[in-house]
Amino acid sequence: MDVSVENVTQAWPGRGDEPIVALENFSHRFASRRFSCLLGPSGCGKSTLVQVIGGLEVATEGNVRIIEPTRPDVVRPLGADSVMVWQTLNLFPWRNVIDNVAFGLEMQGVSKAQRYERARLLITSVGLAGFEQHLPGQLSGGMRQRVALARALIMERPIMLMDEPFGALDAQTKIVMQEELLRVFDQTQKTIIFVTHAIEEAILLADEIIVMTARPGRIKEVLQVDLPRPRSLEMVNSKAFGALFDRAFHLIREEVMKSMAQQAMALEGSR
Amino acid sequence: MRKRKSSLMRMAEAATPTAVIFAVLLAWELFVRWRGIAPIYLPPPSTIVVYLFRMIGNGSIEYNLGVTLLRIFAGFAIAALTGVTLGVLMGMSRLIARIVDPWIAALYPLPKIALIPLLVIWLGTGEVYKIVISAVTAFFPIVISTYAGIRQTDRGLIKAAEDLGASRRQIQLKVVIPAAIPSIFAGLHLGMGVTVILIVAAEMIGSSSQSGMGFLLIQSGQVMETEKVFASLVVLAIVGALIIKLQQWIDRKVAPWTAFRDGQ
Repeated sequence: MDVSVENVTQAWPGRGDEPIVALENFSHRFASRRFSCLLGPSGCGKSTLVQVIGGLEVATEGNVRIIEPTRPDVVRPLGADSVMVWQTLNLFPWRNVIDNVAFGLEMQGVSKAQRYERARLLITSVGLAGFEQHLPGQLSGGMRQRVALARALIMERPIMLMDEPFGALDAQTKIVMQEELLRVFDQTQKTIIFVTHAIEEAILLADEIIVMTARPGRIKEVLQVDLPRPRSLEMVNSKAFGALFDRAFHLIREEVMKSMAQQAMALEGSR
Repeated sequence: MRKRKSSLMRMAEAATPTAVIFAVLLAWELFVRWRGIAPIYLPPPSTIVVYLFRMIGNGSIEYNLGVTLLRIFAGFAIAALTGVTLGVLMGMSRLIARIVDPWIAALYPLPKIALIPLLVIWLGTGEVYKIVISAVTAFFPIVISTYAGIRQTDRGLIKAAEDLGASRRQIQLKVVIPAAIPSIFAGLHLGMGVTVILIVAAEMIGSSSQSGMGFLLIQSGQVMETEKVFASLVVLAIVGALIIKLQQWIDRKVAPWTAFRDGQ
């Protein structure tokens, strides 16, 4: 499934007359079975964009279309082909692992036996076999992240929207989860749109990196990542990786400075 | 510098609260005997214990406590049922919330004991009056906590459920209500506390039923049987503590996830 984002602007009423423009005139076509990273400073509207794509927020202006390349005329409802993985995970704390993973199927009315069977397969595939009856609060951060991943994967939707999913993890767990995600991507060939502000993460995971400007978020540049797949962490030391890192770092540095200046201004203004 | 505590130290630490209780009781006993204070003002603990067992022996504690507990649970059950139901409805429907809100705002701060004369006029001093006064009092903290819990549901959980294909109705039943359970329980704890207070108070005023711990207290007080007053207070304190423990135990059974609220 392609995701075609066309001139999307997202603004909120700010203090006074000036609206806060999170995202301005954003257009991009995310190609099927590609891994795209949205890279930008905080407040550049990258989270907003994935929520608009996922049908969880309505854009102020513009349009998002989900297009099946073989049948480009069919209009598909927003949200039906995608599933989110959140930075805050949003696991249901009162549901044990298996009931969290099976949530989507339960909402569809799938019988308990069937949804548990499928949930068990996914729980095993993310390495959590034996923890079906645990509550999220009893698990470590990395294990919770796996539950969130399994809960999204069980939906079998072709597009996966990931909003800084590993942002809250410690460095080691993050590496393991990145490898896990690469494996999932190689096996399932989903279209993945992944929000991050970590340059290494973007290069390691993505086929293309959309570098965004500070607020209002626009596309600054699109970088193609031609590192071979399957990817591994060792590539971080390669020459190609280093060159991409320098390029991305140079682009993002300016925007982070701008973003920090904006935040300082906002603080001044609120005083 | 911190050393690891030895097991002896830890045992001593665990025993300290109990030791303090006994020290206070001993001081009380010695003080009363040393100063020769008349039991009508302050009986010594040993005498209170004797009276307590005498009252258990002749069945007056069992009977009056049983009656009081029945009234407490009746009042609490009515308040819990109506309070949680209305709180959930308010959380689900903005219209209902807007209609009910001014009534709660006006009636909640009113001291419910002030309603006793009116309720006695309307309902007499029988069972209905006692249960109504306690239910009315407990209703408010329960409905307010329930409504607050429903409204404060994490937006992230609602969005996640929506993303996973839950309908509005499913979101309310499967996300919003379970998410509100800790807050509902907090309301039920508050409600139980005021139910106990109001039932005992109601038993003291309006004495047509001639039963209950409140009646026992006021009757013993009127004839200056201070030992019986103290014995009744001890029973009420112990039963109150047991009710709170029971509620906490039920919380843990019904909502075990609340033990790890920091994690998620």
